[in-house]
Amino acid sequence: MSGVLIHLPPGEGTGPATGREAGAMAPGPVTLRLGAGGVARFGRGSASTPVELRLADPAVSRLAGEIRVTDDHWQLSNLSSGQTYLVENPEGAGEYFRVPPRRAGAPIPFEFARVVLPTRGSAVSFQVFAPDHVYMDPDGMDGWGTRTLTAFSLDETATYFLVLVALCEPRLRDESAVAVATTPQIVDRLRSHPECGRLTARAVSSHIDYLAEEKLRISAPATADPRQGARRNGKREAVVGLALRFGLVREEHLALLPPRAPAPHRVEVAGR
Amino acid sequence: MSGGPVEVVPPGYRVGDWEVTEPIGAGGWGTVYAARYVGPPRAAGDGDGPPKPGPEPAPEPGREPGRSAEPGGAGPVPDVADLAEVALKFLPTAGLAPRQARGLVETARRETELGRRARHPRLIRLLDSLTLSEPANPVLDGAVVLVMERARHSLRERLHIPSAQGPAAPAPSGERTSDPPAEAEGARLLTEICEGLAHLHALGWVHGDLKPDNVLIMADGSVRLSDFGLAVELNGTHGYIPPLGTPDYLPPERWRAPLGERGVQVRPSTDIWALGIMIHQVFTGGVSPFPGATPMARGAAAQEYAEGRAPLRMDLRVPPFWRDLAADCLTPAQEERAVHTAAGLLARIRAAREREQQRPAVTARAPVPAHAPGAAWWQGRAALLGVTVTTVVCGAAAAAAVALLGGEDRSPRSGAGATAGMGTAAGGERTARIEVFNAEEPCRQAGNRDKLCSLGLAIDPVKPYTLDNVVTTRVWHGDTLVADCQVPQGVPIADEAGERSTQWFRVRLPAGEGRGTAWLPAVRAKDRPALPECAGRPSPA
Repeated sequence: MSGVLIHLPPGEGTGPATGREAGAMAPGPVTLRLGAGGVARFGRGSASTPVELRLADPAVSRLAGEIRVTDDHWQLSNLSSGQTYLVENPEGAGEYFRVPPRRAGAPIPFEFARVVLPTRGSAVSFQVFAPDHVYMDPDGMDGWGTRTLTAFSLDETATYFLVLVALCEPRLRDESAVAVATTPQIVDRLRSHPECGRLTARAVSSHIDYLAEEKLRISAPATADPRQGARRNGKREAVVGLALRFGLVREEHLALLPPRAPAPHRVEVAGR
Repeated sequence: MSGGPVEVVPPGYRVGDWEVTEPIGAGGWGTVYAARYVGPPRAAGDGDGPPKPGPEPAPEPGREPGRSAEPGGAGPVPDVADLAEVALKFLPTAGLAPRQARGLVETARRETELGRRARHPRLIRLLDSLTLSEPANPVLDGAVVLVMERARHSLRERLHIPSAQGPAAPAPSGERTSDPPAEAEGARLLTEICEGLAHLHALGWVHGDLKPDNVLIMADGSVRLSDFGLAVELNGTHGYIPPLGTPDYLPPERWRAPLGERGVQVRPSTDIWALGIMIHQVFTGGVSPFPGATPMARGAAAQEYAEGRAPLRMDLRVPPFWRDLAADCLTPAQEERAVHTAAGLLARIRAAREREQQRPAVTARAPVPAHAPGAAWWQGRAALLGVTVTTVVCGAAAAAAVALLGGEDRSPRSGAGATAGMGTAAGGERTARIEVFNAEEPCRQAGNRDKLCSLGLAIDPVKPYTLDNVVTTRVWHGDTLVADCQVPQGVPIADEAGERSTQWFRVRLPAGEGRGTAWLPAVRAKDRPALPECAGRPSPA
């Protein structure tokens, strides 16, 4: 249980500084990490109603809501008197639900969620990640009470898992013992997948970061190399190495990837 | 590979000199079967004596002795008693991708390595290990089989914790004892677990997956630690194991542990945390000290506790000595927990036992009825096994009871100047005066007869202390009651300050109550007069 991660994209938290959060004054992204049982309030904030996550839009209540970490998920309380909030699953096929005014502790089942608050103009939104969701081991689905489980479980239907499989593909197919796909290669590889047609290079990088930092919590060997590219490659290699070593990605997962367009392994892929 | 373990080994299947009789269960890695010895008969003395130490090589995982493996030819020589019935753990490698097969071979290697090197009466004995060569049966081909001592059941089964497999898991027929372990049995089980753990740690190994499933109880009741699939030899202060674990027994640091090239870090303190959970479970019928309906909820509760946002609330059924021990095992910070080593805990357990054994000689007692419970935890307290529910009467219940009572005149308050001294009642029995003590400070003001400050008296001290087990008479701080005897082992009661006791005093009630006596929990008084134990099972007078 490492809790949840709240991410406020740049621009959403800007505006006059009335909250106590000094960090909110900067028009950059805000990231809050809540541990087990942790609570964060969000809203416009004021001197008398401090909030941990400041949303500067005037249409947002001073104290608009509360996020509370519960077990492996989180709860959303809508503290406004008249606004309905929307919680979307950015990875779902348009999955969302409404949290009506004064609703206390609505449980949020999504590993990735975007909380959308209505405003006069465009909506204000922030993201909440719950990386602790547990998935049972494939051979242990008859129960999990006292079973020994893989401590790092991955959602095999999530986009990050597709990215991971694509990263591991060259090694799984024994094409290369060392090769790790680059970001453009992954974008290219997943383009024909029905859910990844619009996957950007930036999104792929965020998925890899999420895997490395939140899901696997990789203790990367400290690389002193200041060059960004080298550092990123180190992270990718670590992700691939660990995923393969501990069986988080296996040969059978290659079937999740779309058929390969270029010729060389056409026959092999078609046979799956 | 879904839908649970596949039963691939039919009864009658032969492995080396053993023949499979029935499946026992499925663990995290393999399926375990019971088997009996069908090899050539041996003389009684054959293989007896101390187990051969040292360099007998356990078979390398790659070795293929097939089904014709010589009995004891490669592994340690089993003694005759072991041969009658054994447990065979099958670690099938078929149907797995090569990388997973490597992982299983690694698991088997850890088990054999530890089994070979860490002989101890508290560790399950590995008698042999072989790799099957069954080209005609791809499911079994290449499977690693570990031949081990046969246990009666696991601690999980003893505590009646529902198995992960649910009803599908075959219960060992007729072997289950219906009662949870009594204090004496629980103490013995935990002492033996601690002995095994101390030995393991002294050798520089960490178990890595200590839990009631992996604590086996033999036919003679003794304990063996088993399942060393995650056991690892330490390199300095820590070792690395694959990222596997059982959520309920993971120490708080593991929930945030990074995954490194070699896996996750484990230390002896990993096992100590799991021991703390098990101490609590042994005395509570399997209940974790952390609240929650699911392992994830309990894991979150453990995290909250470790982060200092929630106190550790242990069940009052856990005896005070063991509660202190469990609290030390559950020290949140890994560095501070490391102070409590298995050897240190074992020394404390033994010292406590010695103290307890000396105590009866010091305390002069009135003759104790034969069936009355002994005071010391290892002596057994058979008379009180049924006592499991502990209820501290809450303020609301007390207030309700007082409202019914509607007055203070009936309280058995004695005249001023009464002291808690010994006296002799008209009948010639010994009596003592006991002054009621209220742990809540505002209730101790002179003359405070607030209903919320009233305290209850029980009808029966071995029944749960609930609203239907209290007399109508209420008492307040400073009241003096006349007690004529006591029971040392009633329902445990804790006061608002956390003081806990299982002792109860039988006190006289004023006329008009409808009964002559009632029971005051010892935590409601500071006096501890040396009263005789009440004769007979205390019953509602």
